[in-house]
Amino acid sequence: MKVSVISLTCCAGCVSSFLNAGDALLEILSQDFEIVYSPTFVDLKEIPEVDLAIVEGGVRTFGDEEVIREVRAKSRILVALGICATHGGITSLGNLTSIKKLLEKEYSLSVSSKLPELEDLMYPICSFVDVDYYIPGCPPMPFLIVHSLKRIVSGKTPIRHQSVVCTECHRKIIPAKLDSLYGIYEKEANPETCLVSQGFVCLGSLTRDGCGAPCPRAGFTCFGCRGPADSLLYRSRDIYAFLVKVISKRTSIPEEKVKEELYRNPFIFHTFIFSRFERFKARERVI
Amino acid sequence: MSQKREITISPTTRIEGHGKVTITLDEFGNVSDAHFYATEIRGFDYFLRGMEAERLPFIISRICGVCSTAHILASVKAIENIYGTEITETARKLRELLLIGQIISNHSLVFFFLTLPDFWFSPEENPSKRNIFQIMREKPEIGKEAIELRSFGTQILDVIGKREVHVVSVIPGGLINPLKEKERERLLKMAENACRITKEALTIGKELFEKNWADFKKAGDYRTYYMALTTDGAIELYDGKICVVNPDGEILSEFTSNDYMEYVEEKRYEWTYAKFAYLKALGWPKGIVQVGPTARMNVNKRVTTEFANKELEEFKRKFGSPAYATLLFDYARLIDLMYACERVKELLDDESLTQADTRVKVKPKGGVGIGVVEAPRGTLAHEYVLTKNGLLKNMKLIIPTQVNNAAINLNVKDAAMEFIRQGEIKPGLLNRIEMVIRAYDPCIKCATRQVDENLRVEIRNSKGELLRTLGLG
Repeated sequence: MKVSVISLTCCAGCVSSFLNAGDALLEILSQDFEIVYSPTFVDLKEIPEVDLAIVEGGVRTFGDEEVIREVRAKSRILVALGICATHGGITSLGNLTSIKKLLEKEYSLSVSSKLPELEDLMYPICSFVDVDYYIPGCPPMPFLIVHSLKRIVSGKTPIRHQSVVCTECHRKIIPAKLDSLYGIYEKEANPETCLVSQGFVCLGSLTRDGCGAPCPRAGFTCFGCRGPADSLLYRSRDIYAFLVKVISKRTSIPEEKVKEELYRNPFIFHTFIFSRFERFKARERVI
Repeated sequence: MSQKREITISPTTRIEGHGKVTITLDEFGNVSDAHFYATEIRGFDYFLRGMEAERLPFIISRICGVCSTAHILASVKAIENIYGTEITETARKLRELLLIGQIISNHSLVFFFLTLPDFWFSPEENPSKRNIFQIMREKPEIGKEAIELRSFGTQILDVIGKREVHVVSVIPGGLINPLKEKERERLLKMAENACRITKEALTIGKELFEKNWADFKKAGDYRTYYMALTTDGAIELYDGKICVVNPDGEILSEFTSNDYMEYVEEKRYEWTYAKFAYLKALGWPKGIVQVGPTARMNVNKRVTTEFANKELEEFKRKFGSPAYATLLFDYARLIDLMYACERVKELLDDESLTQADTRVKVKPKGGVGIGVVEAPRGTLAHEYVLTKNGLLKNMKLIIPTQVNNAAINLNVKDAAMEFIRQGEIKPGLLNRIEMVIRAYDPCIKCATRQVDENLRVEIRNSKGELLRTLGLG
């Protein structure tokens, strides 16, 4: 199988994660899996026709848009790897402000027009092309990437993860009586009980599983890098209201007060709210 | 009069991020200009304004997935600098281990996956074959060792940082999780093997390097300033002072991280999304300075571990100090790697590393703070201004690739001039240009994360004369 690995606007963490798969990486490379195009590893300048394209990063410039359209046209299967490709990711925080205007002020006055022009927003790739499989994560864990790719190489559909991170977390949900929410640095977390019931804003109850819950296991709140779980991809589900309910239930803090505290911290939802994932369309393709 | 022409290389391959090279030829077909530039931008330091300090380290790591840990460490150091937090010795050692884990995972990737193919195959080799996957096909054991060494680096990140890319355990005040005794023993066992692989890589690298040295020497040989962290003249990664040496190897200045922005200034050109950093006191372009593996060798007199120190002595004997040739970056990177593996062993040998005191309470407040660490590609600095409510007001990041940006561009132009005369392009141009860029291991992802309102844009004509300066502050 001929494979291309493409990077659009991103941090390159997803391909790094793929390379962290160790022996599993060696195994897949020894199978029918030939990377013929990848600016990071291979000296080929033209995008070739391939069976499988793995794309990390989203569309921030018209240059990115051109590339993703060409890649789609030349690839039989297209996999969006990581939250930037699937949802727009961290760079979408720039969608909150008129960052394009600022950048234009800086660059388009220049004599050279060698730099690709910016799109108005940071887009996930599905805004421009059809995607066969989405593997969200920031980055997705190495085993998740390799397992999914192995299934694709052997002509099967990758195993889907439809539930939430809580199902993979060892912490016990014990409803508590608290007065307020806490930042992760404000107090030390008890290692056994649910972070939400200790007053931390952990997004595990909203977020798709498949990562093994490394963050809450380490005592760090889940920040939702796998995107919304299947149940939250219905139009009728209000993600924000759902989180308020979960927190209120596990901490006994009234919903109104939870809302107030969450409002003060809009960045909590960065991977959910500020991205333009076509969240109602592609449920069955999210891995 | 014949037409001016432009030659474009896009994308530049086997480097991190979206790069492009253009070479402009004058009407006689000679090189009038050549640029290496970045074609992507994300705007981190703009959209993060208003972010709470406590979420910064973990979001800022998304600047670069390749050296995310270095960014997190610089970030927490900057915040602790503002808060006035002193972390415990245990936390300091664990953070140094994390930084070394980052250097091992990065350098093993750069050596085996990105630059080795240049030494391994002849320049005439079919470009579609000139990559690590082909080396793996021809000699599977090299691929195995490459992956094993990288896995050791990522294991350190996973065990101590709790994720391999974008670690989560590092917070202002220390680390969330202490190291368990079992984990210490497991990593220590792996460290032996990593030292062995690195010694083999050094043997392979040195052999190939010597074979090609005559050619390599021609590919860029600049006398610039060099900057790196140091402790008593020895290579230092996490703490220490910043030392700058002049092209003769004499110390120009030595200062603490708090004064970093007094010594280093940045400027931009309109043709690239990546800025240029230089020494403020000397001005532009006199103050062009380089950071990274070669700079670490040039600034420091010794390495605190045995085998790496021998290698450093040999390096200085062979190439002098400072060593100038651009492609020595690839050689110096292996000495870095050797030091990293030996230092991991040293740190892990210490049983007190598993003490539970990894975290102190922080007292948030506003102010200005700087955090500096030695990232894989060189000295990395984060400066934050926090409001009294603990929100980010402003940030300034000076990233290794920005510092090396000037030297990279000089090298590219030089290579272009060597290979292009009177409209005739000698074979090997592409390879040479990409090799010198690759030597710097530039990370365009890092260099292009930001925009800055208080900057000046210079507009120049084709003769390089300044037409207009636009200030946007």
